[in-house]
Amino acid sequence: MDLVLTQIFNGLQYGLLIFLAASGLTLVLGIMGVINLSHGSFYMLGAYLSLTLTSLTGDIFLSLALGIPIAFLFGAAIEWLFIRHLYARDHLQQVLLTFGLILVFNELQRMIWGTFPHSVPIPSYLSGSVKIFGLMSYPVYRIAVAGLCILLALAMMFVIQRTKIGRMIRAGESNREMVEVLGIDTRLLFRFVFAAGVSLAAAGGIIAAPIESVYPGIGESVLITSLVVVVIGGIGSVRGAFVGALLIGLADAFGKVYLPQFASVVVYALMAAVLVTRPGGLFGRA
Amino acid sequence: MLQRPRPFIVILLIALLVAALLVPFVGSSYAIKFTTRVLVLAIFVISLDFLIGITGLVSFGHAMFFGLGAYSLYFISPQAEAANAIIAFPAAMLAAGAAAAIIGAFCVLTRGFYFIMVTLAFGQMLFSLFYTSRIAGGSDGAYINVKPEVTLFGVTILDFENRFAFYYFCLGALVAVYLLMLVLARTPFGRVLQAIRWNEERVGALGFNTYAHKLLSFVFAGAVAGFAGVLYATIDGYVAPDLFGWRQSGIAIMMVVLGGAGTLFGPILGALLYSAIEEVLKTGSWVGPIANHWSLGLGLILIAAVLAWPRGIAGLFETRARRARPERDQPSGDPQEERPQRGKALAVEGLTRAFGGLVAVNGVSLKLAPNLVHGIIGPNGAGKTTFVNLLSGASKPTAGRIRLDDEEIAGRTPYAIARRGLGRSYQRTNIFLPFTVRENCLIAAHARHPSPFRLRLGKFAREEAKEIAHALAATGLSTRAEAVASHLSHGEQRQLEIAMLLASGAKLLILDEPLGGMGAEETSRVIALLRKLSVNHTVVLIEHDMDAIFAAADTLTVLVEGKLLAHGKPDDIRRDRAVREAYLGRWGQEIVR
Repeated sequence: MDLVLTQIFNGLQYGLLIFLAASGLTLVLGIMGVINLSHGSFYMLGAYLSLTLTSLTGDIFLSLALGIPIAFLFGAAIEWLFIRHLYARDHLQQVLLTFGLILVFNELQRMIWGTFPHSVPIPSYLSGSVKIFGLMSYPVYRIAVAGLCILLALAMMFVIQRTKIGRMIRAGESNREMVEVLGIDTRLLFRFVFAAGVSLAAAGGIIAAPIESVYPGIGESVLITSLVVVVIGGIGSVRGAFVGALLIGLADAFGKVYLPQFASVVVYALMAAVLVTRPGGLFGRA
Repeated sequence: MLQRPRPFIVILLIALLVAALLVPFVGSSYAIKFTTRVLVLAIFVISLDFLIGITGLVSFGHAMFFGLGAYSLYFISPQAEAANAIIAFPAAMLAAGAAAAIIGAFCVLTRGFYFIMVTLAFGQMLFSLFYTSRIAGGSDGAYINVKPEVTLFGVTILDFENRFAFYYFCLGALVAVYLLMLVLARTPFGRVLQAIRWNEERVGALGFNTYAHKLLSFVFAGAVAGFAGVLYATIDGYVAPDLFGWRQSGIAIMMVVLGGAGTLFGPILGALLYSAIEEVLKTGSWVGPIANHWSLGLGLILIAAVLAWPRGIAGLFETRARRARPERDQPSGDPQEERPQRGKALAVEGLTRAFGGLVAVNGVSLKLAPNLVHGIIGPNGAGKTTFVNLLSGASKPTAGRIRLDDEEIAGRTPYAIARRGLGRSYQRTNIFLPFTVRENCLIAAHARHPSPFRLRLGKFAREEAKEIAHALAATGLSTRAEAVASHLSHGEQRQLEIAMLLASGAKLLILDEPLGGMGAEETSRVIALLRKLSVNHTVVLIEHDMDAIFAAADTLTVLVEGKLLAHGKPDDIRRDRAVREAYLGRWGQEIVR
């Protein structure tokens, strides 16, 4: 019982982190029609920003406050330099260009931060564990991470549901051509969506750093898992990405305990099962 | 459609082949190993181009079959002896092909982005299986102690420990694989694959089982990738899970696109160029300290290449327009010399289709006799196109029966219905735009014998050529046969739709607004054609042009709000009070005149 509960918590917390990365990926795909394989690199960027900023400022939450704007500007620059050339291209070329970006980002990471794994300290006021339901003890920082993810998710939901730019995003998600015809400046909208997606992924990387440690290639497993989440949830659906991310988180957590050799196989098998039964994803328009 | 390579390309490829033949004589042992690796990668990448460029399936997991081939050799090889390549290589291809059949059965169900993702996921699944488990050394990889040799009746013919023997074997294999793919792409099977790449829905509507075609293509490409994998494992005598990984798949896509997808020779150039760039960037004596960061340069070059040459190196060699070939002698296609044939009869009973609360087609019952022109009219939103989609299988009826002659076809797949002789054209022109008029008709004519295992024109060559000539003559497109379909005028494209239906051998033709956008002269020509077609076919015509449909049709059916309002001879419909009130209100005066 203890183990099951711990794994439920671990799974939900991992799922929430993945959701931060997957939400940007699904929006970029749904609204701009771009498959961005370099999205995992932004998670990596966050992890390394966390490493550098925390050693400078001494606190993970100051790193988060500084890191999100840095990631936003970085994302806007990448969109302007590379991604905007892909809107009129086919999937094959999007896959290629963003694959090239991964090579570049990985090498830049190696040049700046080197290849050794690093760890980021958990702030002292959040170290230790608490008893939950009187049954199990669970690290406080992990609970804080889950709480932060939920806050960020709520903030995103607010922007999408209640603001003008959110209305444009929703319109873009349901009919991309129509938004362009309606006279909305799609160049700015796309740049904002892309940069916001980058910020969310980086935020995930920043707060996960004290749990996971920081190492080269940290973004790639996140990318693949996020892509699986997007497929399960349905392209462009933030709600789908949320449900998909939690499903994947739980499948991964329980897979690791009960089928240790096949944990990642469980994740892919789940995706194959969803696709065969609902080819457009759980919340997608098939 | 894929042509034989132009003379310039042939000369280039022969020059490369001669250079490759000379490498072992002039190059160092390092150069031989490097070139061997390029040759093997080229085989792998050509097999991927067969999927991406010919069939239009962008697989991001193709490396899984490459890896399976490599690991098969590891499993087959005895500890301290050489495996016999005559057994080991086909066994590896079989293993990769079998895996492709199982994995492809799922993947091919999906399209576009989802196909990319599912293939990626299956590749990663295999990768993590080999990486996390202890199979074959897990993440460390495993060594094949003795490289395979070709042994026949106890005599060793080729020993792959000898790098010259192995080099020439790989070179021969690449030439063979390239020629095989080129020939295969130009068989009826290969042509249908190329058509699927551009317009899968249309291929299905012509009567081809596109799922089976795509799956076969996937299995074939997988088996060839397995062959490349076995060769790759022989180079170093080492296998590792990275062979399955998404980077390996990504690099392969990179080589295909860098070289030029859909050309088959392009990927060879792509593999060579990619490997050469990587090698140059890695060599410290040439590029200095940057060599430590070679993948940065590689990434930037790839990004620049994608932005600058979207069609790859092969795109640089392409001429703008296709040269018109001289008309070959075609068998005469005069329809007069044939005896009239019976068209198919169609009967629907209580046909209903609901979209949620909206009932687009509501309990329509109707009998359409063979060898007549049947017009279907109705105001916008009357359910005409939904009705046609139900007949052709593009949409499944909620209730009701459809009989083609005596056979129930309701709920069957579009290709199964097309095979029974029901052909349709579309309201929005739906042809293979990059192909010539003749190629469009050729695909349609192949639908008469739609087996995916068809590799030769064989005894049908004559029959199909005759049907194509007949179809082109009947629609007045004979002189435009070598024009690319996207260059045709709108009216000509509409006529090509009809020509494709004729070439496909359909006995019941459903034409959805064939006159849309045509001038008066073209319209009267098409009406005359429709009258003539009813000698051998049953024609169902949906049209907004009232003058035309009253002139062309033998019977008229009026649909209003999804329901059958009236059915009868044009003159009766003209006089029908209900029709005039409910539908002809606006035009009533003009038509009754």
